[in-house]
Amino acid sequence: MKNSAVTQYAALWPRGPRQAKVKPLAQRLDTLEGKTIAWVWDYVFRGNEVFEQLEKSLSARYPGMKFINWAEFGNTHGGDERAVVAALPEKLKALGADAVVSGMGC
Amino acid sequence: MLRASVAAEAAGIPSSTLVCESFMTLAKAASQGLGYPNAAVAPVRGHPGLQSREVLQQNIHEFTLNGVIDNLLRMPAQKSVGGEPGARDIVCSGSFEEVNEYFLAHEYSDGLPVVPPTIAKVEAFLQYTDRQPDDVLGVLLPDNRAATVWSIAVNGVMAGCRPEYMPVLIAAVEAMADHDYGVEHSGNTPGGENLIVLNGPIIKALGFNYTQGVMRDGFQANTTVGRFWRLYLRNVAGFLPHKNDKATFGNTWRVVVAENEDVVAKLGWPSHSAEFGFSAGTNALAVGRYTGGNHISSVSGATPEALLPYLADAVVRQYSWQIMFSVGQGYDTLRPLILLSPIIAETIAAGGWSKQKLKEQIFAQARMPAREFERILRDWTQKPTWNLAEEHAAGRIPEVFHESDDPERMVPIVWRPEDYHIVVTGDLGRNSCYVFAHNGVLGFPVGKAIQLPENWNALRQGAGESHD
Repeated sequence: MKNSAVTQYAALWPRGPRQAKVKPLAQRLDTLEGKTIAWVWDYVFRGNEVFEQLEKSLSARYPGMKFINWAEFGNTHGGDERAVVAALPEKLKALGADAVVSGMGC
Repeated sequence: MLRASVAAEAAGIPSSTLVCESFMTLAKAASQGLGYPNAAVAPVRGHPGLQSREVLQQNIHEFTLNGVIDNLLRMPAQKSVGGEPGARDIVCSGSFEEVNEYFLAHEYSDGLPVVPPTIAKVEAFLQYTDRQPDDVLGVLLPDNRAATVWSIAVNGVMAGCRPEYMPVLIAAVEAMADHDYGVEHSGNTPGGENLIVLNGPIIKALGFNYTQGVMRDGFQANTTVGRFWRLYLRNVAGFLPHKNDKATFGNTWRVVVAENEDVVAKLGWPSHSAEFGFSAGTNALAVGRYTGGNHISSVSGATPEALLPYLADAVVRQYSWQIMFSVGQGYDTLRPLILLSPIIAETIAAGGWSKQKLKEQIFAQARMPAREFERILRDWTQKPTWNLAEEHAAGRIPEVFHESDDPERMVPIVWRPEDYHIVVTGDLGRNSCYVFAHNGVLGFPVGKAIQLPENWNALRQGAGESHD
């Protein structure tokens, strides 16, 4: 219950308007067999080893899979992150990537 | 990582983002800010940095693999983002205590009492700028919110600022929104905290402390503008602990450090704002993010040559993993910041050293053996080989890192003398320094001019110029 004897304040919302509209994700793949996966890395937390292991496991399950090494794209968390990320769509398409695995968020 | 995935999704290419279990909440919050609240993430068990190769392999095979496959083959369920109030909406009416309880409950507060941001108080702040309330200074990640003049005033009120601080607050947010600064990294693991350094006549006009205890809270201008920065990061950029802010330990906000311009002028040294292209007498601020720092006490000697070893030693000791912002994770983005107490700066200048010469001497002396530099890079990046010779041969780093093949050769921690930033401030008569450990590309220093409104003098006279 509010105490009317004390000063009352009408407080404004302190946040800023969101600029991002909700967008749909890309269509998922119907199979991984025969598809090309691009590894995209921020150069930390042993992502190179993680990708290597995933590549082995995925290849065992989907023998026709192909992979694009993370070195093709540059560091997604380095000094030129914005440029690397901005160039990503074009590079992925040029290299024939069907999907991306991006790490490491740790 | 999510930003890279989102770029792929926008181009019609499905993605899976590898995220450690402890970062899943952050991933959820960041995905929403990027406009993809249902972005597909595959969990990584524990932390790879603490696992043997065998355990890491087992975890990836048993835990992460199926997540990746699922991410790429199955469309994640759609998630909606809830509606929000408008910029001018009243979200709570009540007593001081009731407003504060509401703001705490809705995570708008840093835990200290806030001044209720009423329309009258916000309008008082808006008088101190010629900009329009709806002007957008930038869009801040991770929440992707517009940094408006209005929201600056609201958070300035909450922080306990005076209305006349508004020009400083606007410049601070312009710096926050500068891409070079990289606000999106403000919630990363090291928990680095921003420092605002102030220059210009506005220091005295607004009563900023620039002498003893300059980094101590207790001076309204220094303290509340520092608090404002953190509140704005929270409410507009969207850095909330346990959500988008993943600092392992974190720090509280730093109060503003103002340079002692009287001493700088007496020495004939350029002020700190000159690093960013501003001439003497310009009201300007610089921001940068620092993971820590250390007080260097009892720096003793009658000549600059005698004082130099203290500074060089302090710099090298303050930097370990951060050198990967010089070579590695962020090439040429390390900018160590050193505070000199006035009497130290005066002693150095009395020996005939300019600020530039001091930087050159620190650059020449603050060095470590090349083998140690490479070991630090190996340990902290977990990349098995780091070879400065190869980096130099590839044209990625300057020759100063590879002047010979001797592993004992001494190499600098930055690329050039100018990379050292030096500010004269603090107790006039104490022989101390302070070295900040810089966070490199994750908070690169940027400077902004502070624009006063055209009627500044009239406004200040009307307010009684209480600090002049």
